[in-house]
Amino acid sequence: MSTQPAVRTESVWKVFEHDGIAVEAVRGVSLEILAGEFVVMAGPSGSGKTTLLNVLGGLTRPTRGRVWIDGADLTTMSERGLARLRLERVGFVFQAYNLLPVLTALENAEFSLLLRGVSEDERRREVSQLFERIGIAGLEDRRPSKLSGGQQQRVAVARAVVGAPALVLADEPTANLDTATSVALLDMMAKLNRELGTTFVFATHDPQLMERAQRLIRLVDGAVALDERRAAPASP
Amino acid sequence: MKRYAILLRLARRNVVRHWRRSLLTGMAMMLGVVALVMARTIGDGAHEDWIDSGVRMSSGHVAVQHPEFRFSRKLEHRLTAPARERVFAALEASGVASHVAQVAPRLEVMGLANSPTAAVPVRIMGVAPDLEAAFSQLGVEQRLVEGRYLEPGDRLHAFVGQRLAQRLDLTLGSRLVLTAQDAAGDIAGQLVRVVGIYRTGVPEVDESIVHIPLATAQEWLAVGDDITTVAVLLTSAWDVPRVLRRLRRGMGEADVEVVVLSWRQATPELDAAIKLDDFWGYVFNVVLFIIVALAIVNTILMSVLYRTREFGVLRALGLTKRETATVVFTEGMILTAVAGMVGVVLGFSVTWLLWRNGLDYSGALEGELTFSGVVLDTVVVPVFRRVQLIMSLGSIVVVGLLASLYPAYRATRIDVAEAMKFEA
Repeated sequence: MSTQPAVRTESVWKVFEHDGIAVEAVRGVSLEILAGEFVVMAGPSGSGKTTLLNVLGGLTRPTRGRVWIDGADLTTMSERGLARLRLERVGFVFQAYNLLPVLTALENAEFSLLLRGVSEDERRREVSQLFERIGIAGLEDRRPSKLSGGQQQRVAVARAVVGAPALVLADEPTANLDTATSVALLDMMAKLNRELGTTFVFATHDPQLMERAQRLIRLVDGAVALDERRAAPASP
Repeated sequence: MKRYAILLRLARRNVVRHWRRSLLTGMAMMLGVVALVMARTIGDGAHEDWIDSGVRMSSGHVAVQHPEFRFSRKLEHRLTAPARERVFAALEASGVASHVAQVAPRLEVMGLANSPTAAVPVRIMGVAPDLEAAFSQLGVEQRLVEGRYLEPGDRLHAFVGQRLAQRLDLTLGSRLVLTAQDAAGDIAGQLVRVVGIYRTGVPEVDESIVHIPLATAQEWLAVGDDITTVAVLLTSAWDVPRVLRRLRRGMGEADVEVVVLSWRQATPELDAAIKLDDFWGYVFNVVLFIIVALAIVNTILMSVLYRTREFGVLRALGLTKRETATVVFTEGMILTAVAGMVGVVLGFSVTWLLWRNGLDYSGALEGELTFSGVVLDTVVVPVFRRVQLIMSLGSIVVVGLLASLYPAYRATRIDVAEAMKFEA
């Protein structure tokens, strides 16, 4: 694990307006997540986990405060700059997999490499290695509708980690999976973290995921209530 | 460019994936194009017939006159014999001969037709019978009520309409006196005998147009060899601009005695009628395409809203707003291109297969159909032209383009974080 922060936030607030009422989803969060960390953000529903994750990924702008990803300040970036940052430095894993239905597993996984203009040979080599590593080799040509939930989520993980992003954000990645599939998926992500040094930040309720966390951040009412680094590695 | 290839791939596959929706939208566009092609080919065919009938009865596709004649209708504004010779020379020399079907010299004057029972205002046309028979076609079988049309060698003969014959109580062989102002400005009369009676179905024509031999008219009105109009009938109304241009150049700008007019200038009432019909045609097309556009907007917009999460994912993966809009826009344009081409092919094919020999709507009518002094043929033969193809494709491209813009814009307004929560 490097000591270089993959993510840094400084007094981040996110306030939503609903029918004229201000709802403070994130309240003054200051964090530093180091490159290669396996971080779990836990907390009850409405504690601001997903909102904070969206802020870290540049999907939504904070109301106040500043956010740096891999040293780049998100709060001063243009829309185009944010899109570029998401493409090159951030990977996302969503609860509902969210693979593009018209693309095959391989095309989904290599999508960000395609957008970055990486050559076909290089794309295929990188994705093949990843598919081998995460146990979905042979499924390259299948469309998402022909894959199980677990397989789809593995393709989604491949899509998120391909091209070595500075940060992978995963929002409830195991919520739609059965226990055995969840365990296998988490083991696979822990392995990627260990072998490739990918920085993972999860938002979850899943106790199995919390058990694997090297660092557990507990959010309550949008603020950090607990930030605990553990001795145990993120290994199965 | 590489990135656009990816967006194109996404758009293409989305069109195929949602094939029912694509088919529905495509069908709406295709039917719009088919309707447009049919309307244009049949409409243009009807207009050609209409123009053909109209110009035969008036002064041809191209009329050469004294510049003032069309306003004054007076003999003092006539084409002198030398001017007439220059016109015929220009017709020979300016490379328009291949477009010309008929040329007819005419001496036209407003006057009165008198019989022992009544007097009726008429338009008297001195015509060359052999040339005029094929030109105005007043003497053809379906118009001839009795008698015959004028023939070369006729002198004191007149060919009159049925309504005029009724009003003046004339029958074949009856005598009538035509009176008009001659070249000197004096009232002059000419006795003629009815040699034939025609009926076009247009009351104004059947009551007012009287044909007499040109030589008789020239002698009666004391104009020597002068005429008022050289009427030129072309093989197609589409050749008018080309013939006008060449003939005007051939006549020379300096010829102040002569003006070369298109049928639109020489027969403004026919031009106005066709423009009015065209206007309603355009209104029909616009309404048709607004309906098509709404169908496109509706289905593409529904698809954008239905795929909110998908667009959110694309944005999360690094697509810009503009690129997301490009995917939606390209989907619309793919549908437009395919539906447009199929529609054009289908429209032309169906029209050609069903009506290439003419669309007969006589069953829907009682009696003749007349408009603006012209009897319309009840069998319309569609005409097929490249410009219709370009116009039909162009129209659907414009409609598809406009109809795809709003859904594309809406795709850019998606809140990425909110989109992830979206359940279709």
